[in-house]
Amino acid sequence: HQEPREELGPRAGKRNARVGEEPLLLAELKPGRPHQFDWKSSCETWSVAFSPDGSWFAWSQGHCIVKLIPWPLEEQFIPKGFEAKSRSGKNETKGRGSPKEKTLDCGQIVWGLAFSPWPSPPSRKLWARHHPQVPDVSCLVLATGLNDGQIKIWEVQTGLLLLNLSGHQDVVRDLSFTPSGSLILVSASRDKTLRIWDLNKHGKQIQVLSGHLQWVYCCSISPDCSMLCSAAGEKSVFLWSMRSYTLIRKLEGHQSSVVSCDFSPDSALLVTASYDTNVIMWDPYTGERLRSLHHTQVDPAMDDSDVHISSLRSVCFSPEGLYLATVADDRLLRIWALELKTPIAFAPMTNGLCCTFFPHGGVIATGTRDGHVQFWTAPRVLSSLKHLCRKALRSFLTTYQVLALPIPKKMKEFLTYRTF
Amino acid sequence: MDGEKKTYGGCEGPDAVYVKLISSDGYEFIVKKQHALTSGKIKAMLSGPGQFADNESDEVHFREIPSHVLSKVYALCMYFMYKVRYTNSSTKIPEFPVAPEIALELLMAANFLDC
Repeated sequence: HQEPREELGPRAGKRNARVGEEPLLLAELKPGRPHQFDWKSSCETWSVAFSPDGSWFAWSQGHCIVKLIPWPLEEQFIPKGFEAKSRSGKNETKGRGSPKEKTLDCGQIVWGLAFSPWPSPPSRKLWARHHPQVPDVSCLVLATGLNDGQIKIWEVQTGLLLLNLSGHQDVVRDLSFTPSGSLILVSASRDKTLRIWDLNKHGKQIQVLSGHLQWVYCCSISPDCSMLCSAAGEKSVFLWSMRSYTLIRKLEGHQSSVVSCDFSPDSALLVTASYDTNVIMWDPYTGERLRSLHHTQVDPAMDDSDVHISSLRSVCFSPEGLYLATVADDRLLRIWALELKTPIAFAPMTNGLCCTFFPHGGVIATGTRDGHVQFWTAPRVLSSLKHLCRKALRSFLTTYQVLALPIPKKMKEFLTYRTF
Repeated sequence: MDGEKKTYGGCEGPDAVYVKLISSDGYEFIVKKQHALTSGKIKAMLSGPGQFADNESDEVHFREIPSHVLSKVYALCMYFMYKVRYTNSSTKIPEFPVAPEIALELLMAANFLDC
């Protein structure tokens, strides 16, 4: 179906939006030439990702292609084959491409993406023998989750295919690397399992995590690398230990498929998003449900359709841990401040599927069903010293360790995010 | 550390560039007034009744805070500088690092000073 292209840009006067905090569209990349419909490929952008150091951006643009572009995006380096519409000019710029950009042809629909830093040898000495072109400097790898269950691992600077991981029997919907750079990869699949792969051992499959009853939609490893969250179609969210690869607990509460999950930067909070129109915020250490963010209250003045479908597609934390971005089927990108019950800002976004924050803040990237990618301004945050201290402490203290500290009750409530 | 007059800017009079923060056990910490005022609490204590700007020096007595907590003043001042620098500016805000070993005590001070 053809959707009329919507006017995208700043919209003033939205309910609940603080002045200057509406996400403003910085740039949009869309395929320059619409592809012939091919039943084997589709044009959705199922995933977008920034590398942890913020130097690269990747998106699975449909038609089996993953595009890798250096970040920040410069006007003269709009990716080849794309048009860009930026906030500065109304004219669309045709892409000529940066010399560094890479196009990865994965051969099938790409569903999941994840970056990892690839630290220097000795792990890479093995590669150098078989792939002399692999650069000597510390670099990045990108894992791509494919339609038939394969996972391809690519080296980012050269676009070289390094590994093919086989094991999954169905779509690999989501991928997550350990943030520590230890090259352990977790994959989530429609075959109802998660798998753990060790890229230090040529991608050896070291564990299969079973238990989900339906498609596993997403997985996320906590920033302190201790926990793994997975969410599936049977409405449940599972928390696994990344040390023993065993199930810690099940989080019940959603009323429909849970499709997206993310940990806060200090690992103290977990958010999950579902087709039931809610985002739930949990304490991953105790399993307690802290709050629910409802996506049904849409200002009728803004929504000119009769249908209020607000299934969630994606949720992510901002890098300093004070905001959330959500993408829902009611054609809105919402920004939430953690301590409030309603969004602080909205931006119109049709057919949104995924979102992610730039790791150093300031920008949110989103992907849509028609293969477009947008970049939005994120709220500019100057964290309070209280929050900065909380974030530093929670990066290594569990909820139980906080509760055992010799501090006043109000301080414990603040530290465990019961109060803000 | 015992009330001896220091030689920088001066803590007395309306043009005082610095203020003196005094802990419960008598230690004195001298910080730039402009930065100390980013704390709502200090600002209130400096401008509240009983403070005569032209007669007395700008001093704040923290009767409940011992020196080992107020010694995080250095970290507090770094934060005050950071806040002043990036508030009402359009430049990108870098992350402010907090060392894990002082984070708990710094949190107590930040909570008391409401910053």
